[in-house]
Order: sequence, then structure tokens, then C-alpha cells
Amino acid sequence: MSAFMTAAIARGPIPAQAGIGLRFPHHRAVAETRPDVAWLEVHTENYLGGGATPAWLDAIRRDYPISCHGVGLSLGSADGLDRDHLARIGRAIERFAPALVSEHLSWSVAGGNYLSDLLPLPLTEEALAVVCRNVEATQAFLRRRVLVENPSSYLRYRHSTIPEWEFLAAVAARTGCGILCDVNNIYVSAQNHGWDASAYLAALPPAAIGEIHLAGHAIRRLDNGAILRIDDHGSRVAPAVWALYAAALDCFGPVPTLIEWDTDIPPLATLLDEARSAQALLDAGGRKAGHADAA
Amino acid sequence: MPTLHELQNDVARGLIGRDTAAAALHVVGDGLAPAARLAVYRNTIVAGLTTALRLSYPAVHRLVGAAFFESAAQLFLEARPPRAACLDDYDPGFADFLAGFAPAAAIPYLAGVARFDWAVSRALHAPDAAALDPAALGAVDAADEKRLRLVPHPSVGLVRADHPVDAIWRAVLAQDDAAMAAIDLAAGPVFLRVRRDAGGGADIARLEPASWRFTASLCAGATLHDAIQAAGEVDAATLLATHLIDGVFTAFTVGDADGRQPMETLP
Repeated sequence: MSAFMTAAIARGPIPAQAGIGLRFPHHRAVAETRPDVAWLEVHTENYLGGGATPAWLDAIRRDYPISCHGVGLSLGSADGLDRDHLARIGRAIERFAPALVSEHLSWSVAGGNYLSDLLPLPLTEEALAVVCRNVEATQAFLRRRVLVENPSSYLRYRHSTIPEWEFLAAVAARTGCGILCDVNNIYVSAQNHGWDASAYLAALPPAAIGEIHLAGHAIRRLDNGAILRIDDHGSRVAPAVWALYAAALDCFGPVPTLIEWDTDIPPLATLLDEARSAQALLDAGGRKAGHADAA
Repeated sequence: MPTLHELQNDVARGLIGRDTAAAALHVVGDGLAPAARLAVYRNTIVAGLTTALRLSYPAVHRLVGAAFFESAAQLFLEARPPRAACLDDYDPGFADFLAGFAPAAAIPYLAGVARFDWAVSRALHAPDAAALDPAALGAVDAADEKRLRLVPHPSVGLVRADHPVDAIWRAVLAQDDAAMAAIDLAAGPVFLRVRRDAGGGADIARLEPASWRFTASLCAGATLHDAIQAAGEVDAATLLATHLIDGVFTAFTVGDADGRQPMETLP
């Protein structure tokens, strides 16, 4: 492909193809070898400073469509959004001009303290109102639609009243945000809580789905013999998750699909191999129309 | 039924402070104790913060080893939970914490190395800013010169340490035992200037004590006059020229307005 076409495609929307999460160890390899992958996603919080790190992304961004995936906005905080953090996210989005911006259905901040994890929300009408208010504030500040991702979870709260899939669909319906459907998270949570993963997928509004995430998870046997699946993004996508992904494509049609890998990060070639597996499923099944415009 | 605010405060307090009893009351057991479920999150949080601290304090991590570092990071989390969601910024107070951390007392230079680690980390990740064009200073009237204040580049840090922490830092990160053994810990204090160079790396310079005092005063927002007074014997013109060539400053003001810039790495 010509440099002109590469640059033109890089400025366009995220295509309904397979991409990979870009992490620090692969900056140089991606910048120098320009691997054959349709798009890249970064954790926004890793590119808020100056110096060499964001400069790598400036260079890479010229050749690839980019998605900025936030992990620190805490959309579920009862205290509201951290406006300083939102402003920093806004400046990063101006700098990198991503085709997609996403965050999580979770919380990380309470009383001004930041907990570096995506904590689950009680699924109540009160929490739904809080999330919708924070999503609306985010979209208003950034002047664009964002995608909100379903979390993986290891606990449920006693006073939850709304199934997670209904909660997520309601957030999309009330705020106009899109949904980032993490198929691995659905699988992990369904296994941990005894949910029906297929019913979860079927309950999501196909028109709102703007992106799919795939990742590996760990199986941990606890002291009492119980099994807990942990969403550690540290291995290849599990066979059962590939099967659920195929079901998701049946539900939603072709959707931009990302391979995430965050612990024990493998060589770039392994990520590209996983992306090819996702692309094969997209090519085989993804001919249905009807998913949301990714931009 | 707790409000969302109450629930989040209970869970946050429990995850930071290890006492999850209040949080556990809100959680469904269902085959696994609520405390065990909460512990999964606690582990992730500790691991995330430990990684963030390891990336900001790589020489401290090497000096004390992974196990010691992780337990210090856990206690630090409990004492000083992060206040911002960008862990690049997670807290320079770690050096002060280590200075008062009894198990670390056997390494007298550890807190100094931590301050230097942090200065290097800030140099690498601080916001970008254009350097002051020295020619712009030509517009300052001679009468106003002494009231000149300069704004330091966000990447600039000034560290004074009782031990040669720059040499220790280099030897430790290079895993060079011979270089480490050759360091004279009693050689006296070092006066360091750290900044980001044009290639994005850390430029580390040792300054004379008077030059460091002059530079530190300027970076803290003192007027040129006051910085010269604070330094004592110093060739201020040459030193200022060197800093300007190195892009140490980004802007200037003239007058009595309080232009103080907080500098985290000042002693």
C-alpha cells in the first residue's frame, strides 16, 4: 500500500477488523516494522505525560487508526468525575485524534483516593443514574460519543437489583453512548456468577456495539476448592471465549475486535497471531450488516 | 441498603486498609467468602501500584529486591493512597516514606536514591514544553535584570543528596558490582541537576554547591538577584547561559509578582 493510502486509512474510522493493544515493549517494533494489523488501541492513561512515550504514539499513529481506551476515569463514582483527569484525557484525545474513545462500567475513585483496579458497581437504579450522569458529562466535555465496556467481576453486591446486561443496555439507551463488548469479561463473569453468557450477548442492543475485546484469563483454585476465573490478560484467548466470540459476531455482525494482553506481554508476533485468529472469524461470519458506525 | 457513596467508601477503605469487614457486609458470599472475593481486588490494586512504583523507582527496587519492595509498597499504599488516576504521577512521597521506614535503615542512602529515581522519572515523563529562546531575554531592560524570574521546564529536577546517589543509581541499574564497590559513600554530598534531553533520555549533571544553590533558587521562582545572593560565589552569567542552552527554562517574567514554582525535588 502506498504511504498516502496508509495515512488516509489511519485518519479514518476503526475498521470492523482485528486490532491489537499497543503496549510499551512493542513501541519500537511497531514503529519500525509496521506490522500488518488493521488498528491499534492504547491505554489513554499511559500517554498523558510528555517525552519519548507519547512521541512513539505520535509516530505510530500516522500509520494506524488508533483507539484510546481509558482505565482511570471512574465512570461509576458517586463523587462524580475528576475534572482534572478528564481534562488531561481531553488533551490526549486532541493530540492523538483517536477514532474511538472508550471507558469502563466500573469505579476506581472514592473519597479522592484512586484504587488501581476496575471495581464492580452495585447494579441499582441509583448507580445507573450516577453512571449515566458521568457518561453524559464525559461525552459533553469531550464532545464525542464514547464506548462503555462491561467489566469482569469476582463479587456481587447484596442490594443489586438489575442484571448487568440490562444495566449496560440502559446506559447506552439513556446516554447515547456505545458499548464495548468484552467477550472474555462476559465469559469470566458468567462462569464466576453462574450467568448465561449467550443470554447476556442476546440482551445487548446490536446497534450500540462499537467494539469487541478479546483476552486471556486465568483459572485460580482457591483454598476452599472453589474456582475463580481471573481476567488477567496474560495468555491466549481461551477456546470457550473464541466460541462465545463467534456467537457475538452472529448477534452483532462484524465489529472492530481487539486482542488485549497486559501481563507477561508476549512477542509482537504472538499478538499478531491472535489477531489473525480473530480476523478469520470476522471473515467467516461477519457478513451481517447492522452494527453501529464505529466512529 | 447503603447509598453508592457509602458503599464505595466502605469498599475503598477496606481495600486500602486491609480491614474489609464493613465492605464484606455488602457482598454476596455464594460459595466463596466475601473477604476472599475482596482480596482478589486488593491483590490487583497492590500489584498495580507496586508496578507503578517499580517503574518510577527502578534503582530502589534493585537495591532492596522484589520482596522487600513489594512489602514497602503495600505499607506505602496504606499510608499514602494515590490521589490521581495517572500512576506516572504516583507520589514522590515514597522517598520520605522510605526515609522513615525502619526496615530500610540499613541502607542509609536509600531515600536519597529514591529522590534521584523520582527526579529521573519526572524528567522522562514530565509534560513537553518549548525551551525559552535566549534571544528573548535581550528584551529585558538592564534596570529590570535583577527582578527577572525564570520558569523551569517541567522535566527539570534538582537533587541534593548526602551520598553519591547518581553513581549508585548508575551502578545499580547497570548491575555493575565492581562500580558499586568502588563508590566512596563518605565522599560527601552531591548536587545534581536532572532534565530530559532532546532524545527523550535523562541528562544528569553534577553542579558545584554554589551553582546548584543558584539554580535551585531560580527554579523555585526567586529573582535573579535573590538567586545570586543565595548562591554566594557563583559565575551567574555563565551558569545562566549554560542552562539556557540546555533548555532548563521555558519562560520568564520581570517584576515583583510572586512567580514561585513548587519544586518537588528540592530538599
